Amino acid sequence: MSPTDLAVLSMALFVIGAVCSAVLARDRIRCGYIAFVFVLAAAAAASTAGVRVFLNGPAADAPLLRIADLGASLTVHVDYLSALFLIVVALIATVTTLFSIRYLEAHPQESALRYYPMLLLFFGGVVGVVCTWDMLFFIVFWEFMTLASYFLVVYHRDDAVALRAGLKYFIVTHVATACLIAAVIILYVHGGRSFSFEAMRVGVTNLAVHAPGLLHVVLGLLFVGFATKAGIFPFGDWLPDAYPAAPAPVTAAFSGTMTKLGIYGLVRVFFQFLPVYDTCLVWGAILAAFGTLSIAIGTLTALAQDDSKRLLSFSVVGQMGYILLGVGLGVYFRPLVPALAALAVVGGLFHMVNDACYKSCLFLSAGAVEHRTGTRDLNLIGGLAGLMPLTAVAAIFASLAISGIPPFSGFASKWLLYHAAFMGGKTAPFTLVLGLIAMFVAIATLALFLKFVTITFFGKLRTPDPKRELREVPLSMVLPQGVLAVLCVVFGVAPMLAAKPVYAGIAGMLTGGEIPGFAAVFGSGSAGLALNTGVGIQGAWMPWPILIALAATAALAYVIYRAGDAEVLVSPVWYCGEEHTDEETAYLAHSLYRPFKDMLRVRIGPYETEGIYPRLPRLRAPGFGWLRRLFDFDQWAYYPFIRWGARLVGRFSETHSGIAQLYLLWMVIGTVAAVAVLLWLGGS
Amino acid sequence: MTTVIGASIQIGLVLLLGPLLEGLMRTLVRARIHSRQGPPILQPFYDIFKLLVKADVQPTTSWIYALPPVLCMATILTASLLVPVFGQAVLGDYGDAILFIYLMTASVVAIVLAGAMSASTYAFLGLAREIMMMLTVEPVLIIWLVTAALSAGSLNLSDMAAWNLEHGPSVSMIIAGLAVLLAIQAQVGKLPFDIAEADQEIMGGPFIELSGPKLAMFEWALWAKQFVFVAMLVQIFAPWPAVAAALAGSVALGYAVSVLLLLAKVLVVVVLVALIDAVNPRLRIEQAMLYFVSIIFLAAIGLAFAIVGI
Repeated sequence: MSPTDLAVLSMALFVIGAVCSAVLARDRIRCGYIAFVFVLAAAAAASTAGVRVFLNGPAADAPLLRIADLGASLTVHVDYLSALFLIVVALIATVTTLFSIRYLEAHPQESALRYYPMLLLFFGGVVGVVCTWDMLFFIVFWEFMTLASYFLVVYHRDDAVALRAGLKYFIVTHVATACLIAAVIILYVHGGRSFSFEAMRVGVTNLAVHAPGLLHVVLGLLFVGFATKAGIFPFGDWLPDAYPAAPAPVTAAFSGTMTKLGIYGLVRVFFQFLPVYDTCLVWGAILAAFGTLSIAIGTLTALAQDDSKRLLSFSVVGQMGYILLGVGLGVYFRPLVPALAALAVVGGLFHMVNDACYKSCLFLSAGAVEHRTGTRDLNLIGGLAGLMPLTAVAAIFASLAISGIPPFSGFASKWLLYHAAFMGGKTAPFTLVLGLIAMFVAIATLALFLKFVTITFFGKLRTPDPKRELREVPLSMVLPQGVLAVLCVVFGVAPMLAAKPVYAGIAGMLTGGEIPGFAAVFGSGSAGLALNTGVGIQGAWMPWPILIALAATAALAYVIYRAGDAEVLVSPVWYCGEEHTDEETAYLAHSLYRPFKDMLRVRIGPYETEGIYPRLPRLRAPGFGWLRRLFDFDQWAYYPFIRWGARLVGRFSETHSGIAQLYLLWMVIGTVAAVAVLLWLGGS
Repeated sequence: MTTVIGASIQIGLVLLLGPLLEGLMRTLVRARIHSRQGPPILQPFYDIFKLLVKADVQPTTSWIYALPPVLCMATILTASLLVPVFGQAVLGDYGDAILFIYLMTASVVAIVLAGAMSASTYAFLGLAREIMMMLTVEPVLIIWLVTAALSAGSLNLSDMAAWNLEHGPSVSMIIAGLAVLLAIQAQVGKLPFDIAEADQEIMGGPFIELSGPKLAMFEWALWAKQFVFVAMLVQIFAPWPAVAAALAGSVALGYAVSVLLLLAKVLVVVVLVALIDAVNPRLRIEQAMLYFVSIIFLAAIGLAFAIVGI
C-alpha cells in the first residue's frame, strides 16, 4: 500500500472505530479496549505511512473526490511535513487512548458514549487535516476536529465551569475558523479559482505582486486563525480555561496534536504559500514577537497557578510560544540568511515534537495523580513519590525535559532556538532580545516545574481524603507516561533522530528560496549537532561525550561519597525540637515564590492582574438595552402603577395612628364640619 | 588519550583548589577583617574528611537520597571541563556557552531536589529562595555570555576567549563583566546573597536535613562551583596574556603556565568575593531580587554596546 492509501486507511479506521465504540458503549471498559484496538491499528497505519514517506519520498495520489464546479478535490498527499505530523499524532493517539481506559473509571456518572467516539473522530479529523492537499477539505477536517474536541471539553456536563469554558472555546475557535475561511476565499479568487495548495501559493504570489496590502490582510487572517488554535497569547485565551475542563487524557491529546496543528497551518502558509519576499521580514518579525510574548506571559502566569492542570495549560501557552518563535525567526531570516532560517525553524519544529512528548506526559502524570488523590489542587497534595514512584519518575523526566536541562530533549531544541536568535543578532538585533527573553523564561519554566514536581511528589505526604487508597496507577496508565518519558530522553541524547526528519519536512515543501543542506548547517557527524551558519562552527551539542563526562564524574563523586564508608541512619525530619502538627510543617504550593510573584503583579489604577496575565473586565453587549426595557412591562407599567396606588393608600393609613385622642379630634372636626355644611345649606 | 589526561588533571585541580581557596579566604581575608586568628588553611579538607566518615542520616534507607549530591558534583566537574585553559577546552568541541549555563543550573536543580527529598519546611523555604535567586541572577550570566558571543560571532567558549584576546577589552565586555562581577556573590552563595542557605535564619535551607557524606559532597561541590565559575569569568573576560600562541610548541609548559596565570587571576577575584562577604550583612530576598533587576539593566546596556559594535 502506498503512504496515501495508508493515510486514508488510518482515517477510515478512526471513523469505523468511533462507530464500533459508540455501538458498544454500554460496557465502558470493553468499549475502551475496542477503541484502543482501533486506535492502535489506525496509528500503525499512519506511522507506517509517515516512515515510508521518509524512506521513499513523498507520495501524491489521485483525488478521491472532485467537486469540479468549486475547483475543490479531496486530494490525499503525504509529504515530509505531513509524515512528521502523522507520526506524532499516531504516538499521541495511542498513548492517550490507552491511558483513558482506566482513567474513566473515576467518572462513572458520565457515559463512555460521549467519550470514545468523540475521541476517535477527533483523531480522524487530525489525520485528515495533516494529509489533505486542498484548502476546502482542510477546513472541513479542521471543523470536524474542532467540533469533536468541543464535545470532549464539555465531557463533564454537570460542571458549570467546564460548560462555560466549552462555550468560550466554541465561540473563539469558530471566529478563528471564520478568519481562515475569509482568507482562503480571497486566495481562491486570486489563485485561479481552485482550493488546491498549489493554487493557494499562486494566489499569495499574485497578491504579493499586485496587491501587497491585501496580502497583509490575508496573512493576518490566516495568522489569527492558526494562532488561535495554537493557543498563542492573546488569541489563545480559551486555552487556559478549556484545557483544565477536559479529562486529563483528552487534554494530553489536545496539547500533543490539536495545538500543534496551528503550527502546522502556519508553517504551510509561511513556508509553502509565501514566496521569499520582503513580506517575510514583516510577518517573521510579527510571528517571533507574538511567540516571545506568549513565552513570557504564559510561563510567568503559570508560576502563580496552584491547580495542576491549569498550571500546565498556561505552560502550554508558553511552550507554543517557543515553537512560534522558531517559526517566526525562520520566516524572518529566509530572505536574509537562509542558514539561520533553517536553524530557527528546525529548532521550532523540533521543539514541537519534544513538546508533544513531554507536555502530554505531564498532563497524563497530573491526570494519574488526580485519579488517585481526587484533586488537582497542589495545595492539598504532597509527598506522593513513595506511593506512585513510576508516575513520579515520568513526571520528573518530563519536567527536566521541558525545563531544558541537558541531556533531556528540551535542551536540544531550545539550544537550536537560542543559537538562531543570538547569531541572528548581528543581522537583526531584535532577535537577540527575543532570544534573551526566551532563555530567561526557560529558567522560569524550570522554577515552574520544580514547583510542580517538588510539591506533588516530595515533601510530607498530604492527601485531601485519607480514606482513599493511594498506590501506583495501573499499568495501562503507567505505560503511556513511560513511553513519553523515554522519548524525552531519546530525543535529548540523539537529537539527530528528530532534527533530520524535521529538516526534511521543511526543506521538502519549499519551492524557491531553498535552505542550505542539512550537513552544511547542522554538521555531518552522527553523534550530535555542530552548527555552522557560514562563519565556522559556532557551537556544538554532542550528547555522548558530555554524557560520558557526566557518568565518569558521577562515578568519581560516588566513590568519594562512599570513601568514608559512613553508616546510614534512619531518622525522622527534625523541626528544631519544636512540637508540631503536620498542618504546621506543610509547605504549600501557594507559598512557593511568593516574593517573585509579588514582583510580577501589575496594578493600573483600581485594576489588578492575576500575575501578569491580563484579564478583561466582563463585557455587556451594548446597544440592545432599550429592547430589553421595552419588553419589561413590569418595570414601566405594572410597578409604577402599584407604587402610586400604595402611596395613595399609605396616605390614608397614616390617619389610623391608634391614638384615641386623635380619633376624637377627627370626630369633633367632622361633626363641626358636618354641622357647618348643614347650616350653610339650610341658610341658603 | 590526551583528552582523558587533560580532563583528569583539570578535575583534580578543581577538586583540590576549590576547598583550598575557601580555606585561604577564611583565614587570610575574613579572619583578618574580623581581627581573629582564623582556622588552619586546610580546614575545609579536614571538614570534608570528617564529614565523609560521619553517619549518613536520612528519612528512609532508599538509595535515591545519594543521587542529588553525586549529580551536583558531577555537573560542576563536567562544567569545569568546558573552561578553556590552554587553547580549546577539554569538552570545547562538544558543548558551548549555553551548555555551561545549563550545567550550572543543573547543579542548582540537584540542590533543590536534595532539599525537596528531605521534606522539611525549612528546606522548602530554602529551595524556593534558591530558585528565586536563580531566576534573577541567571539573566545576568546569560546576557554576559551573549555579549561575548555576539562580539565573537560564536557561542563556542574558546572562540569567545580568542576574540577577547585578539581585540582587547571593549566597552561592552567591560560593562557586562562588571555586571557579572556584581552577580558573582549570588552565584557562589556568599554574603550578602546567601539567602537560600541563611544558616542563622533557616538553618541551611535545602541542606538542613543533610549530614555526613551528603553534606560533604554539597559543600565540596559549592567550593568547586565557585572556582569553576570564577575561572570561566576570567578566562573569557581577561584571557591575557596570550600564552597559547607564545608557547604553542610545548604543550606541557604552556598548560602549566596557563594554569598558574589562571590561578593568579582567580585569586584576585576570589579575594574580592571574600571581602564583600566579610563586610556585608545578609539581604532579604526581595531586596536581593530588586538589586539584580538593576544589574540586569546594567548588563543589558553592555549588550546594547555590543550590538553597535564597541
